[in-house]
Amino acid sequence: MIEAVQLAKRYDKNQPYVLKDVNFKVERGEFVFIVGQSGAGKSTLLKLLIREILPTSGTLKIFGQDLRLMPERRGPYLRRNIGMVFQDFRLLEERTAYENVAFAMQVTGAVAQEIARRVPAVLEMVGLGDKLEARVCDLSGGEQQRIGLARAIVNRPSLILADEPTGNLDPDTSMEIINLLRNINIRGTTVLVATHDREIVDRMQKRVIHLEHGQIAGDQKKGVYARAF
Amino acid sequence: MLFNDFCYAWKEALKGLYRNRWLSLASIGVVVVTLLMLGLFMLVSLNINFITTSVKDQVEIVVYVADDATAAEREELHALLSKNEALDEVRFVSRAEALQRLKAQLGNLLEGYDLDAENPLPDSYEIQTSLPEAVPEVAQELEGYPAVESVYYGRGVVENLFTVTNALQWVGLFLMIGLAITAVFLIAHTIRLTVYLRGREITIMKYVGATNWFIRWPFVLEGLILGFWGAILPLAALYFIYGAAVDWVVSNNLLFLNLLPVEGAMLELAKYLLPLGIGLGILGSAFSMGRFLRV
Repeated sequence: MIEAVQLAKRYDKNQPYVLKDVNFKVERGEFVFIVGQSGAGKSTLLKLLIREILPTSGTLKIFGQDLRLMPERRGPYLRRNIGMVFQDFRLLEERTAYENVAFAMQVTGAVAQEIARRVPAVLEMVGLGDKLEARVCDLSGGEQQRIGLARAIVNRPSLILADEPTGNLDPDTSMEIINLLRNINIRGTTVLVATHDREIVDRMQKRVIHLEHGQIAGDQKKGVYARAF
Repeated sequence: MLFNDFCYAWKEALKGLYRNRWLSLASIGVVVVTLLMLGLFMLVSLNINFITTSVKDQVEIVVYVADDATAAEREELHALLSKNEALDEVRFVSRAEALQRLKAQLGNLLEGYDLDAENPLPDSYEIQTSLPEAVPEVAQELEGYPAVESVYYGRGVVENLFTVTNALQWVGLFLMIGLAITAVFLIAHTIRLTVYLRGREITIMKYVGATNWFIRWPFVLEGLILGFWGAILPLAALYFIYGAAVDWVVSNNLLFLNLLPVEGAMLELAKYLLPLGIGLGILGSAFSMGRFLRV
């Protein structure tokens, strides 16, 4: 599903590498935490995966395609197969929960009936079945992140990338969000979560890739955050 | 573009305009004000052109035939004038006809004079040239023809008229270019502000896999709608303003101010302002989006 070989990235020739010598593989259906402190390169790795930026050297393959060789215009179609979840939710605050999720389907050219059928089902799945018409700005952080999750899965992507999805949430809500991600994973979607939330990582007992100063400092099958140090 | 996407783009454009209705109104306002100024100036300039061309068309040369010219000389003069390609229209005015005109013009003032007995007026030719600007030159040439007593063409006045109209045309051109450039800047900035305010929306669209054109279309259509109304409103305003101006000129008997008819002038204006407004709207939004699409 994802394969990084000798992957390196720096934003400018005069600046140090943000990622260097990164090698890893993620198989279909895995649940992987990417951990590390701020500036370790987690966000850069996620940006590379959605082809927001390109690697400086090395190869990064996703769904078997080399992102450096992929033509620019294929970018949007790659992203339709990846669900993104953000720390700051990135929702359209003036619009309803329904509209925010429907938005992601409209973009792919989905027909109206399909949108009307699938959006409520997905919102129901994340526990917001009764808040379809609530405006985002009237909802709590946890509820907003559920909308974010619903939006990420509505197009049935094979990969979910979550960038600090619990960064703005209290511990209980965080666990709920992570559990939702696990449920999505159980249905067969590959999930990659970048986080520095130690408690969640330790409780989940999933694979942990530990980044430090842009390099992989550890990669454990059933890892915990603490042991990675 | 699929029909589905087409409908979506129109719907989004209208929704976008409504959601940002104050900014939409502001954008239309900017387009309206600049195009109104531009239109007003164009109207003035069109009319100056129209008036000067009609004045120019009225510039004519009068050739007075010498009283003592022989029949052969007169014939030769007539032949020469008919052959001359620089002359558009050559009309012979006999001394009898000239007297008739004088009587008609002066009426009672001529009472007491027996002009029929001894007509003091000479035969003449009234000549229009194909190129009004060439009048002084042609007049000089005609002075050399046989049987010509003198040539009259409003010497001095004609030269001044041409200098003034030339200057007016240049000034008008510069002012219009200046106004058009100002309009482009104002509109581009306003639309950039619209796009900037919606940068978040655009970024999110990119993340969920929208193609650049899918994102761009609603904005382009918004620009089109804004530009269209930004051009229609000043056209409507100018229609009333100009109509009132023409009425005023007519009701005050200022008929020497020979203004362009309202419909014709408006059609001429619409030919420039509509494409300009729509073009500005579309280009403004398409270009302003550039940096948000690079995600």
